[in-house]
Amino acid sequence: MSKITVAGVRTNVKELLTFSTETKKRNFLETVELQIGLKNYDPQRDKRFSGTVKLPQVPRPNMSVCILGDQHDIDRAKHVGVESMSVDDLKKLNKNKKLIKKLARKYDAFIASENLIKQIPRLLGPGLSKAGKFPTPVSHNEDLAGKLTDVKSTIKFQLKKVLCLGVAVGNVGMTEDQLIGNIMLAINYLVSLLKKGWQNVGSLTIKASMSPPKRLY
Amino acid sequence: MSDGPFSALRENLTGALMTVSSYRDDFLIQYRHYESQRDIFLSQPEGYDNDPFIEQLGFITHVADCYPDVSKKFPQDLADLLLRHHNTLEPDLREKLVQCLVQLRNKDVIPSTALLQTLFPVLTTTNSKQLRSQLYHSIVSDIRNANAKTKNHRLNKTVQGVLFSVVEAGKNSPDAVVGLWAVKVTRELWRRNIWDDARTVEIIKEASLSANAKVMSGGVRFFLGVDKEKEEMDESSDEEDYNDSLGKLKHQAGINKKTKKKQAQMDRAIERLKRKERNKHKPSVLNFSALHLIHDPQGFAENLYSMHLAKSNTKLSMEQRLLVLQLVSRLIGLHKLTVIGIYSYLLKYLTPRQREVTRFLVAAAQATHDQVPPDLLEPILRKIADEFVSEGVSGEVATAGLNSIREICARQPLAMNESLLQDLTTYKGSKDKGVMMAARSLIGLYREVAPEMLKRKDRGKTATMEMKTKEKLRFGEEAPGTIEGLDLLEKWYEEQKQKKIEEDGEEAAVEEDEEDQGWVGWDVESDSDDSGSWVGVPSDDENDIEISDSEDEKPSVNSKKSKASEKGVASKMDVNEDASKKNDDSTVPATETDANKLMSLATTRILTPADLANIAKMRAAADLQKTSAKSVLALRNEEAVDESIIEGPKTRGKSDKEARLAAVMEGREGRERFSSKRGKTLSEKPHSTTNKEKARKKNFLMTLGQAKRKQKRSLMEHRRILKAHVEKQKKGK
Repeated sequence: MSKITVAGVRTNVKELLTFSTETKKRNFLETVELQIGLKNYDPQRDKRFSGTVKLPQVPRPNMSVCILGDQHDIDRAKHVGVESMSVDDLKKLNKNKKLIKKLARKYDAFIASENLIKQIPRLLGPGLSKAGKFPTPVSHNEDLAGKLTDVKSTIKFQLKKVLCLGVAVGNVGMTEDQLIGNIMLAINYLVSLLKKGWQNVGSLTIKASMSPPKRLY
Repeated sequence: MSDGPFSALRENLTGALMTVSSYRDDFLIQYRHYESQRDIFLSQPEGYDNDPFIEQLGFITHVADCYPDVSKKFPQDLADLLLRHHNTLEPDLREKLVQCLVQLRNKDVIPSTALLQTLFPVLTTTNSKQLRSQLYHSIVSDIRNANAKTKNHRLNKTVQGVLFSVVEAGKNSPDAVVGLWAVKVTRELWRRNIWDDARTVEIIKEASLSANAKVMSGGVRFFLGVDKEKEEMDESSDEEDYNDSLGKLKHQAGINKKTKKKQAQMDRAIERLKRKERNKHKPSVLNFSALHLIHDPQGFAENLYSMHLAKSNTKLSMEQRLLVLQLVSRLIGLHKLTVIGIYSYLLKYLTPRQREVTRFLVAAAQATHDQVPPDLLEPILRKIADEFVSEGVSGEVATAGLNSIREICARQPLAMNESLLQDLTTYKGSKDKGVMMAARSLIGLYREVAPEMLKRKDRGKTATMEMKTKEKLRFGEEAPGTIEGLDLLEKWYEEQKQKKIEEDGEEAAVEEDEEDQGWVGWDVESDSDDSGSWVGVPSDDENDIEISDSEDEKPSVNSKKSKASEKGVASKMDVNEDASKKNDDSTVPATETDANKLMSLATTRILTPADLANIAKMRAAADLQKTSAKSVLALRNEEAVDESIIEGPKTRGKSDKEARLAAVMEGREGRERFSSKRGKTLSEKPHSTTNKEKARKKNFLMTLGQAKRKQKRSLMEHRRILKAHVEKQKKGK
């Protein structure tokens, strides 16, 4: 594939959506993933990159979030309808690695009250950051619901031990335009992160959970 | 061995190899002879005359591949001999045995694994230094050869397995040094880029957790230093190879007869060399640092810490403990680990009198990242500030203290509190250059990160202006990134639109595939061959270059025009995909803030290489190259801290009187004394008394009369004489 155009993205997204919503509809909300292959990138010599970006639409609305908070935030969490844990609940885990791992696995993201978050490493040890789910702080005067969508719509690009990465950029329940918006923003942000821009991008592919992959670039 | 009794036969066999079957009987005789010799040797290993046996071994090895059926057991015999008797064998014979085994391997009589399985146990158990180095080199070169063309994954896997088990077996006993060889072999192969995967790293990881101090420090050193070694190795070998072989070719071409064929050969060879050279500079597919490839870094760091550092009764030397500390801190920073104990451990070593204190400071800085709770770091900062940065200490110490505080704060700015920061910034006026620079860099850091913590006069203009818009730092917060310079691009498009409207009065009629324009020739600069595959880019190289030349001007203008119209009033838009994109924007329910507008650009358009270049250009023009606070902090934790950063610039201290005098004397060497030239010339030759000398020695009584007359002079006379004197002076007499 030589280059990427908006029209090309659009046709691919269309095909993907028709496949997942009509041809072979599944019994769950499929997530659309953007898979990126890098090239000409020397992880040792080039500076590593990592970055988070907020997408215009929440890619995975069903993401489960847990609030680790003080009384005020727990009340707010109940109001919004999100699960929450208090300091005492966390202390009950007793730094037990298995329990903490279980906790980390149970939720996709965590939000912690501002005054509590500093204690998290002490209370829970490395468990959460090991899973890449270190909480995001929220203060009392911030809107919790807004924070929740912020957390849900933020994606992270980080290079691990291989030269490819994948991020969830949307789901098949979204409209075509919403999905395209998300995909384009993700691509643009990624390219702006890379030192050599497009010369570092080997391939771009979108794929819904159960669909065949569609190559964009 | 050329003059041995079998040389004729061997030459026949190895030279021609055509009459293998006709010599079969001879070989059988020799083989039986060898067997009997071996049995004799085995019955009485001591005091046995080796020479004929060595010769026999050499012969059989050379021709073993011709008679595989007869010599089937031969390699195994050699291996057994070496394995069981390597301590009692004569050095000659031992050497020969190893040689023979390597030769058999080279002839593919035995597989690499078999060879290594024989050599490695001997390597780890033998007492002879000579044998060890021979074995080590044979092992490394065998693995290198096996991986020369393509990676031999199966062999590597088995060897790595063997090495791993060796290290693991000796892990818990403080006396087992076997692992050292495993580390050495691994390190060598890693350095040569033969092994570069996670399995290799696992071996070293296991070694680092060994109870034996030597094995442990070998492993730790690997992690700390091998990446640099590898790089150096690459660079040095690259240059040599290229120059050597090219020089050789040219030399040959000068000597030999010049024919068309030779010329063609030469051209091809040069081409091949050049291609090889180009490929070398391409990044290899997987070139991760060993530190990145570690599996479960958290567990590793915790183990290292609890095994080698936390226990107070470890037998490790200071140097070894420092190495471990270095590695642990590096791991913590790189992988953002949580090892809470290390901060209090560091605390007790952070005093100016501590030996190697800079390395402890480095470790403190490396072990900091943005997920370390500030309350863990605060005591460290406090202690450094108290012990290192105060009026009573020397400039160097204060510099080291301030620099390490800066490095820590660059990784976790929240560790600092306002009053301490304002205290430290007062050192910006210090007379010591290092201290002054360190204090200033601390101010510089906080101007970017949290200007509100600085005193007002320290904030500076830009930081004060940005302060209102800047959000306060919070622990655990990871602000979402934006595409930097997108606003500039947006503005630029607007301008282009204006220009366009002024020019045409109407909207642009030509709506070509504007996005294509941004892509034209984008990848010509890189010498990759991909450009051929681009649609619309002719495969012809010359054309390619032409296009790239024009790329900056014309096509981009085109794309700008089209872009402008896209951004323009929706009614003007052609019916193309962009129009629908625009609609999409308007459906976004959020209020039309600037951020959303910017978003719209990023969500409706793919930034082409031309766009990116444009952004870079405009950012440079707007002098925004200065990085934002976020990027100042970004990935800072992944870098190692260099000791020189902590130490600051080297300043020359004041010298004492003796040293100053010595310097003066040194300056006088090789020149004459400064004095009157006339005196010098007079003193060199014999001469009569000068007028000056006469005047000096004149009898006092004889001068009295003149002195009296001087007093009796009238005013007029006095004036005349003075005047005459002035005149005389003016004339320069």
